[in-house]
Amino acid sequence: MGVGVAQSGLARKEQVSGWLFVMPALVLLGVFMIYPILWSLWMSFQVGRGMAFSFGGFANIMRLTQDPVFLRALTNTLTFLAIQVPIMLVLALLFASALNDSKLWGRSWFRTAIFLPCVTSLVAYSVVFRSMFAQDGIMNQMLMGLSIIDAPIPWLADPFWAKVVIISAITWRWTGYNMIFYLAAMQNIDRSIYEAAKIDGVPAWARFWYITIPMLKPVILFTTVISTIGTLQLFDEVNLITQGGPSDSTLTLSLYIYNLSFRFMPSFGYAATVSYVIVVLVGILTFIQFLAARDRRA
Amino acid sequence: MTSFSAGLKRSLAIALAGVSMFSVTAASAGEITVWAWDPNFNGATMNKAAEIYSAANPDVTVTVVDFAKADLETKLQAQLASGTTDGLPDIVLIEDYGAQKYLQSFPGAFEPLSGAVDLSGFAPYKVELATLNGQGYSLPFDSGVTGMFYRSDILADAGYTAADLEGITWSRLIEIGTDVKEKTGQILMPIDPNDAGIFRIMMQSAGSWYFDADGNPTIADNPVFKAALKTYQDLIASGITKPVAGWTEYTGSFTSGDTLATVTGVWMVGTIKANPDQSGQWGIAPIPALDGVEGATNASNLGGSSWYVMSSAPNKAEAIDFLKTVWGEDADFYQEILVNQGALGSLMVAREGEAYSASDEFFGGAPVWQNFSTWLGQIPSVNYGIFTNEADAAVVAQIPALTSGGNIDEIAAAVDAQVRQQIQ
Repeated sequence: MGVGVAQSGLARKEQVSGWLFVMPALVLLGVFMIYPILWSLWMSFQVGRGMAFSFGGFANIMRLTQDPVFLRALTNTLTFLAIQVPIMLVLALLFASALNDSKLWGRSWFRTAIFLPCVTSLVAYSVVFRSMFAQDGIMNQMLMGLSIIDAPIPWLADPFWAKVVIISAITWRWTGYNMIFYLAAMQNIDRSIYEAAKIDGVPAWARFWYITIPMLKPVILFTTVISTIGTLQLFDEVNLITQGGPSDSTLTLSLYIYNLSFRFMPSFGYAATVSYVIVVLVGILTFIQFLAARDRRA
Repeated sequence: MTSFSAGLKRSLAIALAGVSMFSVTAASAGEITVWAWDPNFNGATMNKAAEIYSAANPDVTVTVVDFAKADLETKLQAQLASGTTDGLPDIVLIEDYGAQKYLQSFPGAFEPLSGAVDLSGFAPYKVELATLNGQGYSLPFDSGVTGMFYRSDILADAGYTAADLEGITWSRLIEIGTDVKEKTGQILMPIDPNDAGIFRIMMQSAGSWYFDADGNPTIADNPVFKAALKTYQDLIASGITKPVAGWTEYTGSFTSGDTLATVTGVWMVGTIKANPDQSGQWGIAPIPALDGVEGATNASNLGGSSWYVMSSAPNKAEAIDFLKTVWGEDADFYQEILVNQGALGSLMVAREGEAYSASDEFFGGAPVWQNFSTWLGQIPSVNYGIFTNEADAAVVAQIPALTSGGNIDEIAAAVDAQVRQQIQ
């Protein structure tokens, strides 16, 4: 009996009312988040076209291993991850470090300008990027005007350049978001550490590398994990700017799921399987990142 | 009352007002909603039909909602898959390649029209492709019979007339294009590397398709498909094409004079004629035939669509009556949309109308509609099946390999492998 008996009536009532307060949120979470997750897990074992599905066991997983389009989508997604996330986070760190200087003129203007892309509408900015990088768009006109290139680059018609456009678009949009995290964390670093370092003759780059970055480790870990998850689920930009083209060179896993469900003859079970691939990838990468950032006891 | 219950009553009232605003936006009786793409063509013809119908039935209005074709297809499929019918239109335009896909994937979503409309007056191949279990579901609209639209003035500068383009093969066209580029510096055609339409045109022109009648892939050992791949490779290698990305860049390319020809369906007339200052500078020739292939012709089809009525349509009866009265019986309507939009309808009695035998001075006074009607009769008939999107995606995925001079047999095998993967 133990603890239950020892609880007074008031403590019990507090327990119950606590649960009652949490219950509506839990119910909504359960219905709209847990239930679809479990349903999609069940769906990933179904095969069949359209609404006519039947149990297929591990057939979908076998299909994954032999599907050239899935491999293409996976390669593209991991490429975007490996290139875009480091570039974006390094840029964000540099910007935050530069803007941390209280004597910099126009600080708040720069901060706003770099953060503004995050709050623009996703669709609007994708459409603008699409027109900017068109064959006769402003990008080509500017580059030709500055004599950097002498023939227009087929940004959206070439597999390599299309990836460059997507990476540029995402970096432009999310650098400011990560920069704000770093800025906020940097404000919390005690100024006296930097003063002591300056007095000891530590150069600026060493102050950045040996003081700033280690003190920002938890925030860097957080932004890396969040950016990884976001880039692994990349959909909007590739759908709106390049439609996964040209020739599937910017096809990501999320866009492939969309094609499987809404563009091709629907294979909802297989699409659910591919979505679980994303889940597994996110889990593995997050685990690795936590492992890399853990405090090592000497 | 306490301030709490007064506040509660007020928030309840506001909530009710908000809910009632939702219900007001539901379609009112007498309003038919139509989803279609290409406002210059499909939208324009539907608006013309609406004009005619509203003159006789003033209490009915027709609203055409414009989408990009790919967006319309994914939106329709997403909504049908979700099972909710709120927000679906009364009439929707569906391209013939996807007709069976929708009919088979979503049974009961479309209203059979064979009872209300006399479908025997339409071209049989159009009615057949939208027939399932003996019921016809479509009001057949336009045929996508293909032609080569070219700038006759620029070609004349290089010394070529309309006769030089009659009954030629693709290799001859490449020769002509190379010669024109040498003499005038102009590029012949725009090509979108994300679009597999040109392969479909070439395949059907020789009577072949990605699948046979039973739905099995016929790609890896298909001589027609390999000839199409080779032709595409030669086209790109000859330097007479220009890459474009997307519909707007594509149509902008030849309407602005940046390129001077395109091989596409008759429905492009609407877009070309939307530049009246180019009147008299365009010509239409039959499409080139594939080289070295048995059964190669100079006629093919690209697209073509039909109108469908949703079973869940709020104004179903009016929609069916509208389609029946104007689209199903009005031959004069078909003359008008032929001249103005180039809509080659499938109503057979309309073919005897005067517009079909007239010449069009926009295209240099040639009897273009006669020509298209003739070519229409020559189109080899193929069964599109239900996996056209998958086949397209597989071909498009191999285009970079093709463009950089890859081995044709290997590429065909790769396309075949991907298609087999996708259709399980």
